[in-house]
Amino acid sequence: MSAAKKKTSKKKNAGKSDAGNRDSAEAAVASEGFENEEMVCCESDIHAVMGVYDTPADAMHAAESVRDGGYRRWDVHTPFPVHGMDAAMGLKNSKVGWFSFVGGASGYTIGMLMIFWMNAVDYNIVVGGKPMFSPFYAFPVSYECTILLSAFGTLIGMAFLNRLPKLHNPLLKNRTFCQGATHDKFIVVIETSDPRYSQDETRELLEKTGCKHIEYVED
Amino acid sequence: MMKVFKSITLLVAIVFGLTCGLSAKAAEHQGEETVLHAPIDGGNHGSTTGDAMHDNHTASEYGPAGEPTFLKKFGYSYLTAYMFFLSICLGSLFIVLISHLLDTQWIVPIRRYLEHIACQLFPTMFILFLPIMALAHVIYPWFSADPHMDHALHAKWPLFTRPAFYIGSVLLFLVWGYLTRRLRYWSLQQDVAESPNGGYEGRDGLVEVFITAVSTKFFGHSVEERPSVKCSRMMNLHASYGIIVFALSLTLASIYWMKGLQHQWFSTMYGVYYFAGSVWVALATSYLISLWLKTNGPLQHVVRESTFHDTGKLFFAFTVFYSYIHFSQYFLIWNAAIPEETFWYVQRERGSWWWVGQLLIFGHFFLPFLLLLRIDTKLNLNVMIPMGIWAWAMHYFDMQFNVMPVLYPEGLNITVWDPLCIGFLGLVLWIRFNSAFASFAPYPQRDPRIAETMGVYVEPEGSKNAPAQ
Repeated sequence: MSAAKKKTSKKKNAGKSDAGNRDSAEAAVASEGFENEEMVCCESDIHAVMGVYDTPADAMHAAESVRDGGYRRWDVHTPFPVHGMDAAMGLKNSKVGWFSFVGGASGYTIGMLMIFWMNAVDYNIVVGGKPMFSPFYAFPVSYECTILLSAFGTLIGMAFLNRLPKLHNPLLKNRTFCQGATHDKFIVVIETSDPRYSQDETRELLEKTGCKHIEYVED
Repeated sequence: MMKVFKSITLLVAIVFGLTCGLSAKAAEHQGEETVLHAPIDGGNHGSTTGDAMHDNHTASEYGPAGEPTFLKKFGYSYLTAYMFFLSICLGSLFIVLISHLLDTQWIVPIRRYLEHIACQLFPTMFILFLPIMALAHVIYPWFSADPHMDHALHAKWPLFTRPAFYIGSVLLFLVWGYLTRRLRYWSLQQDVAESPNGGYEGRDGLVEVFITAVSTKFFGHSVEERPSVKCSRMMNLHASYGIIVFALSLTLASIYWMKGLQHQWFSTMYGVYYFAGSVWVALATSYLISLWLKTNGPLQHVVRESTFHDTGKLFFAFTVFYSYIHFSQYFLIWNAAIPEETFWYVQRERGSWWWVGQLLIFGHFFLPFLLLLRIDTKLNLNVMIPMGIWAWAMHYFDMQFNVMPVLYPEGLNITVWDPLCIGFLGLVLWIRFNSAFASFAPYPQRDPRIAETMGVYVEPEGSKNAPAQ
């Protein structure tokens, strides 16, 4: 078990009254940055390495070099959308569109078939002197079905591709991450499960991009 | 200024010469023109005469416009081509307006040439409208109908009276002229607003003076600002009332000039329908012009990928919007099944007009919709260049579908006048556009968003990293 973790667990045992102290202690650990690296001894405890940047431009350049380094399991967290970040990260167009398309197409087909079966086959009824079935009057409902099922497709496809729902993410335990990524820091996170990950090389890569604060995220 | 005046005079002379020549040539046919309106009322209100008309397939069967005389053939072809080009001008005006209203960055690099296209509404499009005014009594069947005999005409009084038509038409052009000129004036002023060489005037027009007076008097606003900021504010001001004026004037124009061909008809969707088609074709045109100006010169480093992508996306959106509107119009009429409304589509399902309708369904909607559904095709020039040209063709057939069945009820009838009118109007507009484009800077030089759209980051003044002044 890492020294940092021991520290934390000790503090945890100290009880709730000590919560404020614990926070500041952890923050101190975080801000020491490089020095703490020795504390983390075995790689299996580390979930990811995290480079913290102060400006969107720095994070974007870092993302470019991580992309060129061939990493796959990594992400950039920013407090607001940064234009051009998807290109800097080398992200391809999302595949969610296909789920939406399949959902929409099946919604349209189901809508048309449903109305055809109801009005022209199962229970014929003449309304307003119109034909038993006509694509014109069936269209508005089919159109609504298209929207409904493509929305379902989009939502389910998005959750599926993002591997959601996910009950736990180690990043959310990290104070630097939680305070920075939603406020004023631009954070590049590379997971240790990445095939290209190696403790030294990855840290070197982040250092080269001018990162002043590198931190390991515990699992 | 002198040059502009000369070219306008020349244009007037040419157009008048042509019209007078045609009128003289057609004077021989004058006698036949008086007996045209019998089928209008019968065809639309009385089902017996209507059926008789359908059963009686003889050579003498005319549409609501009566016998297609020489002058009528020319007038209808000219009207079709005119409405086509009017769409592009109005659509461009709309894009300029939303650019100001929504403070978009991607329209900024292409805004200047869109302003020039919009400025063609006056005086060029007005001068080109003169033949339609001169031939209005030939083109529009209601001109020779009697409001005492024709209930539809009576019910729509005073919209469909001669003075209202002429005054209304002229007013539309004046309104468009004022709006487009003021928008371009402030845009051009912004170019020189902070230049050391001077050239900035910033003269307030009627609307500016009025609104400034009102806001100082009643709200106590007194604005002290830099000239370039004032230009932006003035463009926003004109766009803010302009969008309402635009909506009303476009609706009136489409009703007067196109829907008025069959004045008995009702459709509350018609203005929106023409609007949707107009913006659609204007976006396709804008895509092609941007591409042309990017590859051949002045906009090379200014128009970037995001502009093309967003033009393509908006084009795609208007593909859907247009078909939504057209379907709604058809569906409401189909569902209500009232003879006063259905006759319009019944006529357009006769002969080869049925095929033109199918072409609009599949070519105006399904083809662009399915092709552009993928996000990356909006940047694929192998798709987008043919698509732009296809959009012109589709919009032209849409105009044919609206105008021509009145004259040729049996089906699509392309005469020699169609290509001639398109060629003439297109050529005149192209020359006028080119001379306007060449006279001024090709894109807004000092727009607050120009750096952003060119992908340059400029430190705001007063920030710690800003370069020293």
